Amino acid sequence: MLLRVAKFVRGEALPVLALLIFSAAVQAQTAGTLSGTVTGPSGAAVSNARVAVKNLATGQSTEALTDAFGVYHVSDLAPGEYEVSVSAENAGAKTAQVTLAAGTAQKLDLVVAAGTEPSLGDLGFTPDQTQGSAQDQARLDRRSHMLRTHQRLGLITMAPLVATLIASNGAAGRNSTASGRELHAALGGVTAGMYFTTASFAIFAPKIAGSPTRGPIRVHKALAWIHGPGMVLTPILGALAYNQRSNGEKVHGIASAHGAVAATTAIAYGLAVLSVSIRF
Amino acid sequence: MLSKSWAAFFVAMPFTVGAADIQWSLQQATLTYRVSNPLHQVEGVSHAARGKGLCQAGQCSFLVAVPVKSFDSGDSNRDLHMIQDVRGGQFPMVTVRFHLSEAVISQPTIPVDLDVEFAGQTAHYKQAAFQKAMQGSDARISGTIPAKMSDFKIEPPSLLAIPTKDEIPVRVDMIWRPM
Repeated sequence: MLLRVAKFVRGEALPVLALLIFSAAVQAQTAGTLSGTVTGPSGAAVSNARVAVKNLATGQSTEALTDAFGVYHVSDLAPGEYEVSVSAENAGAKTAQVTLAAGTAQKLDLVVAAGTEPSLGDLGFTPDQTQGSAQDQARLDRRSHMLRTHQRLGLITMAPLVATLIASNGAAGRNSTASGRELHAALGGVTAGMYFTTASFAIFAPKIAGSPTRGPIRVHKALAWIHGPGMVLTPILGALAYNQRSNGEKVHGIASAHGAVAATTAIAYGLAVLSVSIRF
Repeated sequence: MLSKSWAAFFVAMPFTVGAADIQWSLQQATLTYRVSNPLHQVEGVSHAARGKGLCQAGQCSFLVAVPVKSFDSGDSNRDLHMIQDVRGGQFPMVTVRFHLSEAVISQPTIPVDLDVEFAGQTAHYKQAAFQKAMQGSDARISGTIPAKMSDFKIEPPSLLAIPTKDEIPVRVDMIWRPM
């Protein structure tokens, strides 16, 4: 069996393979390219013009679109006579003939007549600027939805935050009681939970490329660098202080910064809310 | 008889060809929209409009286009919400088309019928009056497009549960140059 396969490879498959490789090499050598620029009567480039290159012998047609500079490029064309026709939105059509020699890069610039109505292509906008998509809109919709949720939750979080600050009277100083500390700790836990939930809606909202930050939102974002770490640090320091008080100790060491850190965090948070609430 | 027809054709031809060649190019433009709420008023400005006018046989067709996201109200967050509200992700351009006769263009006040395409909708504004002032060979055109959100099926945004007014007048200041 193996002997028969080897005989087939030597006798028939190899010559066919060689022929195929040779044909491809010959085609690569003989194939030509056609390129050029499509312009309007004023010399302005015509973008998005459809350039059809038709082989007059075979009738086979290849199409290309001009880029933002009006340039088109068609490759892998067999030698022969071709009819090149251009059509562009709201511009006159143009047809020309060209002979393509084997392996050459032929250049053919075309001038189309002006249309009676100007088009977006005439204004020089790129397709990226003029073509939107449902995906882009969905991204914006998702961003707006998440940021509105962020805004609402942020306002709601103010309630447990203020309640925690008020409850701190019963958790520290002379008025400190076990139940006061419990209440303060519980409210602080609720505040932290809501705060991080609120923050996640802003952090994970889709970013929109090419939109530099301007206006009050810069202040809002800058303040997050104060209340964000503050919201991480405050519960840690609070837990330390809570343990020290529960053990009958006076609050000492780093835990004694709990009140100052919490106050700074609350003020930064309040200012962040105000920075985007005063104007719309 | 035949020779008279040919003579008339050759006399008329240069004027016809000349008329077809007149183009107008928008050199500078400032477009300002205003959104009003009883509590606040916002203006967004764009300088990114481009435009062209083609004249043929005494009739001119103009197109002005501006990217939605080029409007700046001084607050990028508000601008992005505005783009979302006006479906700017799907329809990123505002285009304004109008047709004028060359005779009308020469007048100091130009009444224009506008076709405005915005947010995937087209609205027609009849006889919007624009003022023209010549600056050398350039024509400075200014006026206001009396646009409304409802014309484009845009849901008015709210501030503290109070919706903004339906009217979003767009002030236009353009400098056109004949080419």
